[in-house]
Formats: sequence, structure tokens, C-alpha cells
Amino acid sequence: MKPRLTLRWIVFAVAVFVMNFPVISTLVTAFKSPGEVSRNPSLWIETPTFENFATVLTTSDRLNIYNYLWNSTVAAGIGAVLPIVVAFPLAWAIVRRGVGRAILFPLVVNLRALPLIIFAIPIYMMFSVAGLLDTRLGLGLILAVVNLPLALMLLVNAVAEIPHEIEEAAHMDGARLPRLLFRIVLPLCRPALITTFIFGFITAWNEFLFGLMLTTSKAVPMTVGASFFFATSGGGVQWGVAAAVMVVAALPPLALGLVMYRRITGSLVAGAVKG
Amino acid sequence: MASLHLEHLTKTFGNQTVTRNVSLSVEDGAFCVFVGPSGCGKSTLLRLIAGLEEASSGRIMVADRDVTKVPAYDRDLAMVFQSYALYPHMTVRDNIAFSLRTAKRPEDEVAAKIAEAARILKLEDLLDRKPAQLSGGQRQRVAIGRAIVKQPKLFLFDEPLSNLDAELRVHMRVEIARLHRDLGTTVIYVTHDQVEAMTLATKIVVLRAGEVEQVGSPLQLFDDPDNIFVAGFIGSPQMNFFKAKHQGGRLFATDFPDQSCQAPALSAALAEGQDVTVGLRPQFMGLEGNASLELMIEVVEHLGSETLVHARPPGSAQMMTALVADGRNLAPGQAFVARFDPDRLMVFDATGKRLR
Repeated sequence: MKPRLTLRWIVFAVAVFVMNFPVISTLVTAFKSPGEVSRNPSLWIETPTFENFATVLTTSDRLNIYNYLWNSTVAAGIGAVLPIVVAFPLAWAIVRRGVGRAILFPLVVNLRALPLIIFAIPIYMMFSVAGLLDTRLGLGLILAVVNLPLALMLLVNAVAEIPHEIEEAAHMDGARLPRLLFRIVLPLCRPALITTFIFGFITAWNEFLFGLMLTTSKAVPMTVGASFFFATSGGGVQWGVAAAVMVVAALPPLALGLVMYRRITGSLVAGAVKG
Repeated sequence: MASLHLEHLTKTFGNQTVTRNVSLSVEDGAFCVFVGPSGCGKSTLLRLIAGLEEASSGRIMVADRDVTKVPAYDRDLAMVFQSYALYPHMTVRDNIAFSLRTAKRPEDEVAAKIAEAARILKLEDLLDRKPAQLSGGQRQRVAIGRAIVKQPKLFLFDEPLSNLDAELRVHMRVEIARLHRDLGTTVIYVTHDQVEAMTLATKIVVLRAGEVEQVGSPLQLFDDPDNIFVAGFIGSPQMNFFKAKHQGGRLFATDFPDQSCQAPALSAALAEGQDVTVGLRPQFMGLEGNASLELMIEVVEHLGSETLVHARPPGSAQMMTALVADGRNLAPGQAFVARFDPDRLMVFDATGKRLR
């Protein structure tokens, strides 16, 4: 191997290690026994154990990781899909009809810049009246609001990339608006839709503030539930269990990202117009 | 199949009028070409007929039905776009079938029509490909296929050949002409290429700045243009023009007054001293005729069967072009006496209107 190539690989390896150190450290800790965690801070595991995972995956009256996972899956699912359902027709109307282009679009996109905490009190009060507190639907709805700006931005760009003539051709072929939207525009936005879904799902899955504020027992999401494991024995933090719950909590969005990423292909508009 | 009537059609964008008071009739089965320079409003006129733009005023009648306010998807027309505008996520088969499935035609009918269109356009081997896997000419054929399966009242073509290379353009031009002959559907075709217009059309509409300059058959426009714009636009190479003054039955070139020629016979006599513009087609300048212009050859282009001579009168910057049948011995720097029949001269008044 040439020296330059070797050096390049060393730099890559160091960069990968430094950037992923928190992940590696958590993963290693998850396989250490409580005694080893306090005795051996290195990345080397002397006696690997599944004890922490067993603790995490065993349900008790107080802790049920399967419920947290299910709650997060449902709420993040709603929080990822609903913004697409709302933003897709809106994005088309903004791009093709100019509806809300001047005020609504920048307003919605700039919502992302506001700290979410300022919505906390009014939302809590509204949810309380509407009976949405501690429900997966309620949590999903608020996560949808959190994801809407990004979804709208991505989908507006995606619709704007579709050559106008393709839509005009569909009109000439007799397609009214619903057929145009669902048979032509929607399939052509597929990469953006998948990207929006993945980003939305991961953002919703990782959301902590509204999970903590709007749920108490029935709809507690994984992020909030994970924090319950930090002191399972009532004493100090059990780092091994905490690390194991973090690993379990990180797996579903990771798997989703890996599976869906393959479906994000390049532009689908290739070959549509001259070239 | 259907006729098309436009009545006082006007389209404005903001304070800009793109088509102005256009009235026109296109008979059933005609091949009507809108031709004109860039920005003359020909594509806008086509889009008004298609329903992709809304008319500011006037009426559009297709098969005696007023479609002015009817949306594009209900007009029962088919359009071939300059950029092809194929659906990139669908196969060729699904692209062609889209309008039929939109109209909820039975699947066996859809399959039969796809097969027929594929046979006519030689697309049989390409039906399962996506547009990205096709060449420019193949994409254009798919776009045409998509139009013909619909059996529309009118075919609208918006500069369909302008993205193809020269050889393919000639080939597709013949294909489109053949298709029109076989299907007999009325065609409205937009181009800025007057050769396309001359070769394809049964009727040409020459447009300038949103207004119709002249309507007629290709040879009518070539032989008998109404004004200097149509005379200059139709015909390749372009008509030669020079300013002249009428004196004593002769036309004296303003730029090279030592040369003159006999004025053509006109129904209304030219006034003595009247300033006019004289037009003479390169095809009518050659080695025979009663009148002549003495020129100095600048450039000679041998096209094989004929020769294009670019020359100017001595002492003048006015370039003229002659298309001569036997010009193999001509060379730059030689004197060239371009002979012509004075009756071939066209005379235009100061406003550009033809004096007949």
C-alpha cells in the first residue's frame, strides 16, 4: 500500500473513531456488568454480558419498554406521515398556483426557527380541553406540527423541479387535478417524499420535550421512557442499563434509515424533457 | 377530425399584448402551420387553442363548439410539446396509454390502440423502456404516439422538431407528413423554421408581434406575399431587397444609382419619384432574363446541384444572393451579371405593403 494511501486511511479511521466515540462508548458500556462499568472505563470489555439488555427487555409494573417503543412508533409514524399528507397538496398549490407563496410559505418555514418551548403552555391547555393528553394521537399531532416546516420546504422544492410541461401534457391527456396529483406529481416526488418521511420519523422519534410534557403513563414515548431506566434500582444511575436502553431506542430509526435510504434514488425527472 | 375557428382572439399578460385580435379559420383535415420569428406569439396562440392559457377576449371554436372557457382536459385535443414532456416514471407503454386510461377505456381497447400506435411509429421494441432510456428521436415518436392514440379533434404540435439534429429533423418531418396523410386529422403546427412550414403545410399563418400578417398556401405566400415581412420570411434563401426610386418607368437603386431596371407591370402606376423597396428572390436571379444587375462576387457556395452566389454591386455595401443552376465556373472577385425577368420584381411602398 502506498504511504499516501495509508496516511489517508489512518486519517479516516481517526475521524470515524472521534466522531462516533459517543456511540461506540455507549455500545461498549451496554455490554459491561455494573461492577466492570465502575472499575474499567476503557473501551475494552473484560466479561461481555447481556444482563443490561435482559433488564431493559424484562417488563415490570413500572417499566415496559415494549409500550414505549410502540408509543414512539405510532406517534412518530403520525408525526412523519401527516405532514406529508398536508404539505404535498399545499406544496403543489404554492408552486403551481402561487397560493400562499408570499406569506404562508415563509411563515410556516420560519416556524422551524422558533424554540418549541414557547408552544408548550398553549398546547398543553388545548390538549387538556380536547382530551388529547397522554394519547399517542395527541403526541403524533404535535410531532406533525414540528415536522411540517421541513416537509413543506422539501416538497415545495420537489414540485418546483418537475417541468411544467409534464403537468400540461397530463392536462392535455384529459387528467383532472386529482389524477394529475396522484398519478404524475406524487410519483415524481418520491425521493423527496421518502426523505421527508425519514427525516420526519427520526425527528419525531427523538423528540423529548412534548413527550415529557404531554404524556404521563399510557402514551410515554421511548425517549421519555428511556430516562426511567437510568435509576431502576432507586439508587445511583445504572450506566450499563442506561446504555442498553439507548441502544434499543436507537435501533428502529437506524433500521428505517438503512432500509429506506436505498429507495432514495436520484432525480426521477430524467428523460422527461429534451436531452 | 374537426375545423378550428378563432374569432378576434386576444391574449394579454399584464400590459403586454401577446396575440392581438387574431381571427382565423382552419378547415377540417388541414395541416395549418403558424410561423414567425421568436416572440411573435405563435406558441401562445397554440396554447390558447390547447386551453393551457386563458384568452383575454375573443372566441375559440373547435368543431363548431365554443371551447373558449373549457379547460384543457375537456377539449379533446392532443398536443406534442417541444420538450416532449413524457412521463418519466412510466414506461413507453404507460405513457401512450395514459390518456386512454384517464378516459377509462376498456383494457383490451387500450392494448389494441397501443399496438397500433407502436406499429405506425415503429415503437414495438421500446414499449417497456422508460423515457430516460430513449434517444431524442424515439422520445419524439413516443410523444406523437401519446397524441395519436387519443384520436383527438385536433393535433397541436409546438415546435416538435427543434430539439432534434438536422438529419433526424428531416426524417421526422416526412414521418409527420405521412402521419397526417394517413390519419387525416386537422393539425395545428408551430415552428419558426419556414422550411418546415413550406414542406408540411396546406395552410400557413405568418405571425408577427402577435398579429396575423398573411394566411395562405405555401406557394401563395411564396409567389404573392402581401407585405415585405412575409416576402422576407417565406422563402429560402431570403428574398433580396433594395431601396429604389421610380423614374420614367424605371427603378433606380438608391444605393447604386448607376444601375436601374424596368419597373414591373402594376395595376396602379407608380408615381414619378416615388420611393419604394424592391424585392427579388434569389431563385429568379440567374443567367437569363431581360433585366440585369451588375454585381461583384464576394462568396460562392457550391451546393452540388446549384450554386449560391453572394455578391454586391460595385461601390455598394448592399449584399445580394442569387441561386443559380449552373455556377460551377463562378469564383469570388469575378464580375457577375445577374439576369432576371422584370415581372419577377416585387415592389413595396414605404409602409412595407406590396404594390401589385
